[in-house]
Parts: sequence; C-alpha cells; structure tokens
Amino acid sequence: MPFTRINSKMIEAQIAPGQRVFSQRGAMLAYRGPVTFTPSITGGQGGLMSMIGRRVANEATPLMTVDVPAGPGGPGQTPSGTVMFGHGGHHIHIVDLTGETLYVEADRLLAFEGSLRQGTMFMGSQGGVMGVIRGQATGQGLFTTTLAGKGAVAFMAHGGVIELPIGPRGPVHVDPQAYVAHRGDVRNKLTTALGWREMVGRGSGEAFQLELSGNGMVYVQASEEKL
Amino acid sequence: MAFLRLQGTRVLAVDLAGDAVRAKNGAMVAYDGEMTFKKMTGGGEGLRGLMTRRITGEAMAVMEVKGHGTCYFADRATEINLVRLDGEKLFVEASNLLVTETSLRTGTTFTGLRGASQGNGLFTTTVEGTGQAAILSDGPAIVLRVTAQTPLVVDPGAYVAHTGGLRQQLQTAVGWRTLVGEGSGESFQIRFEGDGLVYVQPSERITVGGQL
Repeated sequence: MPFTRINSKMIEAQIAPGQRVFSQRGAMLAYRGPVTFTPSITGGQGGLMSMIGRRVANEATPLMTVDVPAGPGGPGQTPSGTVMFGHGGHHIHIVDLTGETLYVEADRLLAFEGSLRQGTMFMGSQGGVMGVIRGQATGQGLFTTTLAGKGAVAFMAHGGVIELPIGPRGPVHVDPQAYVAHRGDVRNKLTTALGWREMVGRGSGEAFQLELSGNGMVYVQASEEKL
Repeated sequence: MAFLRLQGTRVLAVDLAGDAVRAKNGAMVAYDGEMTFKKMTGGGEGLRGLMTRRITGEAMAVMEVKGHGTCYFADRATEINLVRLDGEKLFVEASNLLVTETSLRTGTTFTGLRGASQGNGLFTTTVEGTGQAAILSDGPAIVLRVTAQTPLVVDPGAYVAHTGGLRQQLQTAVGWRTLVGEGSGESFQIRFEGDGLVYVQPSERITVGGQL
C-alpha cells in the first residue's frame, strides 16, 4: 500500500518509478525524490468524454497527477519518491480497495492510486426520483464520484471517521450531513420521519436519514459540517 | 438500561434496549436498529421548566431517542467527556450538554455575574441524579480537583462544567493598563473554592472579558 499515515491529518505516499497517484490540486505539503506534479486538465482518468461528464456533473475538483518518471537507466535505477499530503487541517482516512467500489464526494477526495478506475454516478440511477431528492438533501448534488478496482484512497472528513459495517443484521441509518462515503454492494435510500411536529417547527432535527442496507461499510464523520 | 461509551474521542455510542436517552437536538450522526426521535419541548422539564428556560434564555433543544440498537452522537467534531453522577449536581452550559440518561433531572440555576463575563448569560443548566451524562468541550478537557486548601482560578472562556460543592466568585484584575488598552487579556477570572471538580477546555470562547 503506497499510503501511510503520519498523523491523523497528514499522509505519506510512496511512489515507485513509473507509478502514478492522483491528488487534489494543491494538497502536496512536502516531497522527496524526483517527483513531478502535472495539473490534470481532464480532472482524472478516462479521457475527454469523462472530463465532459465530470464538468456537467459538477464533480470536477481540480486534480493533479503525481508521478515519478522512470529514468534513462530503467525503472530499477531511478529512486522512488515520497510525497506528503494534507489539506485544510481535515482528518484523513485511508481505505484499501480490493475490487469493490467506493462512493465518495469529489471534494472529499484527497488522493488515490492511479490503478483505480474513476467514474461519475448519477444519483437517480439508484432509486430514481428519490435518489435525486436524496442527493439534494445530503448536499451531494445529483452526482457522486466512484472509484473501483484495487488500490488505496485517502479522503477527508471533519473530525475523524468511524466505520460502521452494513450487513445482514439490518440497515444502518446515517444523518445525511454526517455521511462521508460508502463502499461495497450497498443500496441507499432516503427515509423521512416527517410528522406534525416538523410542520409546527418542533422537529427533533433528525427528519431525514439515509438508510443503507446490503453488504459493505459506511464512513461517518463526527460532525454535521460540510468540508 | 442505556449504556454510554466513547467511540474514539469525538463520537458517543449509546446502546439502547427499548429504553430512552435525552440528547441535543440534531446530534445523531448514525444508528443501527430501530430508533425514534422526538423533540421534547422545554427540555423535558414540564411546563414550569419550559417557562424558566424561555425567561432565562438558557434554551435547550432536546430530543428523546428511544429504541433498540446503537445510536451514534457527535457535534461539530468537538471532544466528548463522560461524567458519572452519583447523586451530586453537575453545572454545565446547555450548549455543552450532549446526552443525559433519563434517570437524570435537568434544571436551571442563576449564576450571577460570572455567566455574563463568560458570554453565556446569567443562567446555567444543572444536571442531578444518578447516571451518566456526556458533555462537549472544544479540544480534550482536563479535570481539575478543587479542595479546601487549593482553590482554583479559571479563565471564564475555558470553563466547561463543574461538579461538587463549589463556591464560585468572579474576580477582576482591571487596572489602569486595561483602561488604556494594554490589558493582558486575563482581566476576568472565576475563582472556585470548596470541594469538587472543574472541567476546563484548551480553547477560549469569545467573551467580553477575554478582550480586555
């Protein structure tokens, strides 16, 4: 795994020659070795069509590619590079993906390995109209970013993250504002507990909840603030 | 019986088996199992409590969480401290109170000038009875013991809560330097005497006294 945590708010990436990491633009803190930083105009992987897709979906966070070019002596001769990342003093969580898909907001992404496939998902494709409403309620918008394959991802959260497993024991409910990301084969839907109390302004502040069921993991932050 | 435990330092997990806890409105971040959330008007203290809170401005938006399973609470990524009460009284600001067990009673008391200097009004919230309460602090709180021989002086902006039989008084160190704008920023302090515990946070709220 190329990502190691230095403390709760900084990570270090080991990049071997010829390898590549995508990171949020400007999130580099320090580096060692022959590392190059290139702004990624297309905002990630997948060429021009994906770029247009991300622009339209408003999931186009400025990204840069961080790579260590293989020198003339071949990959074995070039020293590997070390890059430290951090952003805004937010807590960073590292997730190792082994074939499953991670769903996360683009602006929460700090860095991810080049071996992962990046994509954009329309919220309406999971749950139709309710999916669209859910996107609005969680402040995620209509689209979210997906990362699939094998590799490591580092994302940010306000105040640290707890992991809650989703299994056959029953659904897990999450406050939409505290939801950070989820992975695995998970169905989510927005449940409402609107009653006469909400109508008269006496709500408990928990009127909307995300209900996640299936098999996987959800990441919840210790705060109800956006980044 | 509700069971309160910390998940890390910023998330509180409460295991419920059909019983209830009282929590700050909107502080739930996640739950599994079955839960219902109901706002308690006036902090669940009845009509008299409601009137007192309205008049004193120590408004407390509280909800009752009831069900089976585990409920997770957090608030703006602030640190959480668990306090066990065995009949004594806990004095805490309403905004710093996250969760209380239903076996605890809450109320309001007059704090006098100290409250005004802290920037949180003339009244404070009291919690008494037997059970656990979770209080919030900006950064990890330290607990300082006060005995008859060792009184304690605290910055009003860093004070979070206290328990036990403590007398408190506001002391000022306002001199000619303060008046010409060369104050040290420590012109107001709260002095605790008696026997008890004081919770202090490593951060200072913006207070009137803190500017001088």
